[in-house]
Amino acid sequence: MSLSQRNLALLLIAPGLALVAALFLYPLCFSLISAFTGPQGGFSLQAFGKAWELYSGDVVFTVVIVLASCFFTGLAAIIIAGTLTLGENRWIVGTLKALYRWPLFIPFIVAAQCMRTFLAKNGLMNNSFVSLGLIEPLQAVSYLDWRGIIATFVWKQTPFVALLLAGALASLDRATLEAGRNLGASRMRVLVELALPQVMPQLLVALVLSFVTMLSVLSVPMMVAGSQPTMLTVDMAFRINAYGDYATANALGVITYLISAGAAIIYLKRGMAKENTP
Amino acid sequence: MRILTLACSLAALIVASPLSAQTLNVASAGDQNMVDYVKDYLGPMFEKANPGVKVVSVGTGPGDSGSQKIYEKLDAQKGAATTDFDVVVIHQKAAGQMVKEGLLNKYTGNVETAKLATGDAAKNSLGTDVGGFVIPMFQSQTALAYNADMVKTPPATFAELADWARKNPKQFGYNGIKGGMSGVSFVAGWVYAFGGDAEKLMKGPYDAATKTSWDKAFADLKEFNKNAVITPGNAGTLDMLNRGEIAIGPVWVDMFYSWQADGKLPPNMKLKLVSPGMPGQPMYYAVPEKSAQKKLAEAFIALATSPQVQADGIVKKFNWYPGIDAKNLEGKLDKAAWDKLFTDVTPAELAQNGKPFPIAPYFNDILEGYEKKVAN
Repeated sequence: MSLSQRNLALLLIAPGLALVAALFLYPLCFSLISAFTGPQGGFSLQAFGKAWELYSGDVVFTVVIVLASCFFTGLAAIIIAGTLTLGENRWIVGTLKALYRWPLFIPFIVAAQCMRTFLAKNGLMNNSFVSLGLIEPLQAVSYLDWRGIIATFVWKQTPFVALLLAGALASLDRATLEAGRNLGASRMRVLVELALPQVMPQLLVALVLSFVTMLSVLSVPMMVAGSQPTMLTVDMAFRINAYGDYATANALGVITYLISAGAAIIYLKRGMAKENTP
Repeated sequence: MRILTLACSLAALIVASPLSAQTLNVASAGDQNMVDYVKDYLGPMFEKANPGVKVVSVGTGPGDSGSQKIYEKLDAQKGAATTDFDVVVIHQKAAGQMVKEGLLNKYTGNVETAKLATGDAAKNSLGTDVGGFVIPMFQSQTALAYNADMVKTPPATFAELADWARKNPKQFGYNGIKGGMSGVSFVAGWVYAFGGDAEKLMKGPYDAATKTSWDKAFADLKEFNKNAVITPGNAGTLDMLNRGEIAIGPVWVDMFYSWQADGKLPPNMKLKLVSPGMPGQPMYYAVPEKSAQKKLAEAFIALATSPQVQADGIVKKFNWYPGIDAKNLEGKLDKAAWDKLFTDVTPAELAQNGKPFPIAPYFNDILEGYEKKVAN
């Protein structure tokens, strides 16, 4: 009986497993092999040499952009989730609640297109500032560079992180927070010293997922900023489109795997630490 | 039993239907306008002339990457009896490769209008002999667009432009080499101007040592870039010109006129084709070797390259230069439509400064040299 149940279980997961193997493992192995194959066949690190020679600056640029975006996303999400949980003004909390999830439903490419006209030198943002008398027309600068990429990423990812964080904050035991308030702690202090430490694992998980998402976006760096320096996704697309050079593109892919593996390790360590706690 | 009969007849119907109606699959690399051109203009015209035929138009995306996708599909179906595509519209770089690898059919002998395209582009694609395999659909050209209110006397040469950019920092913008072909064209023009022997880059033969002679040109370009704005894409350059954020930038002539016709560019914008020249390129009509509908494909291309369609569709609708020789369009086109295309760039200037892209190996060397010595 137990054997047949085991077989049944295997049978049930077989389609899913086959799908993972065919659509994920096979291409992954294929790209790994291609990255380590020289032009004449055989093992070679030539593709990595080329990737490093041409795109080392872009590797650093990518990591800095994604880390900075994660930092600001986390900050914005804490502010939003904190206001939702601890805010006392009904109107502010209600409006925020209704508004904050919207970017979640907008694809990256549409967000990039909006930012293109919003952040330009003579774009909507600067024009609004000028007409409000906040800046002179000559002071207007274009944000269509690395700042534009970060702004788009933060705008797009904040609702996702805030959603997870607000959920975690809402499920906290209110008694400790109330106790803090009763003892005279400000709301800011309650958030930073009492609430946040308890939801740190959830925040970290949300940020790790955002990190990996942002690492893989092509449309935003392509549409929002010029091409030097640029993110690795753009370089990969260029390697294939301009040269048909899959080896170097795959080498860049392997570098991206390694960067996201760093994030995955944090994610897994968190998960294991959680399972081990009684 | 009745259900079985019903199912059988339904199955028979499904199997039989493709026999009564022929389908011609046209795959176009290039922007959405190319797909729409086949879907809304050429397709219905061809269907009307050939009852029972259905034209299906698919797009594979803009730039060389679109052609790369078509190449990959044809390459993957090499072993199959037929390919999914019957007519392909491709860029120069991919055309040379496809001919070399035997993926295209030598069809132009069967198409009468092939004789109307005698220009160099009909035979030579970035150094590869493609005679017999392709007919140009149109010619496109890059040029510098400038805001006539901000720039009274536009630079006439690359050297003057470099000088102008130094005096007017951040007023010149182009999209580098990863954001679209107008930027690639500007970089190729720069190497033609300052890299030494431009003729050799366009005609060959290839000599791998040549690229070492471009170091000075690339170093100057790196310096030049400090005063330039790197825009996000072909449309990004036009956007910034439109908003008055830059005063000069390289653009595709057809995009420029289309945007201007749509009111997306102010009327004070003008074009200048600087000396020694900037590259342009054709798109080609080709028939895959394994096409299932070769006769139909040839008839379709014959229609698409006929003088009347070239006049009405290519020149009037899209502001492209015709793929067949311009003299064949005489009488088919009113003077206003023709003159519009040559207002800023005169035919003489186009003949003198409209250059092809360098042959494929030099092309790759220029792109990689730029990545190594300018962008890095």
